[in-house]
Amino acid sequence: MSDALARRGFEPVMLKALGAAFMVFIIAYILIPVLVTLVMSFNDASMIRFPINAWSLKWYQDFFASPQWTDALKSSVIIATGTAILSTVSGILAAWAFERFPIPFKNVLYLLIMLPLFMPGVVLGLGIAMTFGGVQIAGVSIYGSRALVMIAHSLWAMPLVFMLMEATFRTVDYRVVEASYDLGANPLRTFIEIVVPMVSTGVISSALFAFVISLNEFVMALFLTDRDTQTLPVLMWLSLRSAGTPRLAVASVILALTVFACLALILVWYVRQLRKVSRN
Amino acid sequence: MGGNLLMTAQRRKQRTALLLLLPALVIVLIFFGLPTIFMARMSFNLHPDQRLFVPGFTFEHYAALLSNPVFTGAIWTTVKLAVMASFATVVIGYAFALIVWLKPPRWRLLLIGVALCPLLISEIAIIFGWWMFFPKNGLLSYALHSLGLVNDKISLMYTEFAAFVGLIYVTLPYCFFILLSIFDGIDRRMIEASADLGAPPLTTLREVLLPLTWTGLLVAFSQSFIWTMGTYATPSALGPDTLWTVGYLIQEQMLGKHNWPLAAALSMVLVLGVAAVMVLTRSLMPKRASYHV
Repeated sequence: MSDALARRGFEPVMLKALGAAFMVFIIAYILIPVLVTLVMSFNDASMIRFPINAWSLKWYQDFFASPQWTDALKSSVIIATGTAILSTVSGILAAWAFERFPIPFKNVLYLLIMLPLFMPGVVLGLGIAMTFGGVQIAGVSIYGSRALVMIAHSLWAMPLVFMLMEATFRTVDYRVVEASYDLGANPLRTFIEIVVPMVSTGVISSALFAFVISLNEFVMALFLTDRDTQTLPVLMWLSLRSAGTPRLAVASVILALTVFACLALILVWYVRQLRKVSRN
Repeated sequence: MGGNLLMTAQRRKQRTALLLLLPALVIVLIFFGLPTIFMARMSFNLHPDQRLFVPGFTFEHYAALLSNPVFTGAIWTTVKLAVMASFATVVIGYAFALIVWLKPPRWRLLLIGVALCPLLISEIAIIFGWWMFFPKNGLLSYALHSLGLVNDKISLMYTEFAAFVGLIYVTLPYCFFILLSIFDGIDRRMIEASADLGAPPLTTLREVLLPLTWTGLLVAFSQSFIWTMGTYATPSALGPDTLWTVGYLIQEQMLGKHNWPLAAALSMVLVLGVAAVMVLTRSLMPKRASYHV
C-alpha cells in the first residue's frame, strides 16, 4: 500500500523533471543551427571553425559587393513574387469555385489540386525539366527561364493557398453576398468589392506563405535554373558542395531575414484588421 | 419552361465554376499531370551510350532497379531512413506537442514560435547550420573539448547520426503542428478524470491519450515518411558518402550521368511510394475521422 503511494508520488515528480529536461533539449535542438549560423556570419576569418577569434561585418560587405550573390538574391525575390501572384490568384479562384459552385467530380478535382503538394521536389523538378527541356516559345527556350520555376513552385504553393482560402471562405457571411447580388452587382464585382475585402487577412497570409515557400525551395530550382537565373538557395547549395565560407552564413541570415520580414507583415496586417473590427 | 430556365442557370453556374477552376487546373494538369505521364513513358525508353534517350520500349531500367545492388540498396536505404527518421520525429513531436498542450497559455506562444523556426528556414540553411556544428572544427567539438568532456577533437560529420539529426529537424514542425491540433481538440478534463480514478500518468497516456490521438499519429507519421522519402539534400550533405537514397540517385542520373530513362524510372518508384503510403494511411484511418492526407 505504502509502496503504491510512494510510486504515485514519485512518478509525477520524475515526469516533471523529464518534461523540463525535454523542453531544454528541444529548444536547444531547434535553436542550435539558427544561432550557429547567426554567430558565424559575423566571423572575420575566412575559415569555418570554432572558436571565433575576431568579429566583423566583412562577409556582409563581401556578399553585397558580389554580383553573383546579389543577382541570385534578386532572382530569388523575382521568382518568389511571381509564385506568390500566380498561386494566390489561381488558388483563390479555385477555392471560391469549390465553396460556392456545384462542381462535378468534386473529390477527384480536390485530390488533383492537392496531389502535387505530396510529391517530392526532385520528382516535380525532374518531370518539368524533361517535359519542357527542349520546348521553345517564339524562339526563346522556356527551360532555364524564371517563369518555369515560378510555375514549378506554384505546384506546392497553390495547393496551400487553396487549402487556406477554402477554410477562410467558409467563415464568410454569405447574406452580405446575396445582398450585393440583390442590389444589382454582377458576380465579378461582388467578388472583388465585397468578398475579397472580407477575406483580406487570408489572402495576404496565403500570398506571403507562397512567397516564403518559393524563396526557400531549392531542389526544383536546381533542376530548372541555369547560371543566369539561379536562386540564392541553389547558389548556396552549389557552393556548399565546393567549400563552405562564412559568406554562406550571411546568405542564410539574409534569406531568413526576408522570411521573417514577411511574417512580420502578416502580423501587422492581422493586428490592423483586428483594430478595424474592434473600432466598428 | 421553369425547369428549362433552372437547367440553364445550373449549366451557367457549372460553366462559371469551370472558368474559376481553369488556372489551377492548367497548372496542375500541364505542369504536373503531363510531366508525370511523360516520365512514365520515358522510363521505358532506351538509353544507348552518349545519348539522353532513344524512343523505344524496354523494361530494362525497371529490371535494373530490381537486380542492380546499387539501386536495390538505395531503395532499401531510403525506406530504412524514412521509417527510422519518421519514427523518431513522431516520438519527439508527440512529446513536444503534449508538453505544449499541458503548459499554461503564456508558454504556448513562445514554444509555437520556436517550433515555427525550422518551417520558415530554408532546408539549405538548416543543412549549413548543422554542417558548422558537427565537424572537427565545429561548435560541438569545441564545446565538448573546452568543457573537458573529450580530450581530442571529435567529428560527427558525415555520419548517419548527422543525417538523422538534419532529417528530423526538417520534418519535426509538420509533426508537431499536426499533433498539437489534435491535442487541442481533446477535452483536458479527460486527464483529470483519469487521474481521479487513480491512473498514474503513464497509464493515462497509454489508455486515454494515445487512443484519442491515433489519427494524428498516423497522419504525422505518413507526412514525415513521404517527406523523408523524397528528400535527398539533407542525407547526402550530412550523411556518409555511401548513404545513397533514391532522390540522390535521381539527381545523379539526371544531372551527372544524363541517363533520362533511368532517372524517370527511379522517379516513378518515388511516385508509387508516395501513393502507396497515402493509400495505406487512408485505409488505416478510422472511418469517422476526415483528416485529409
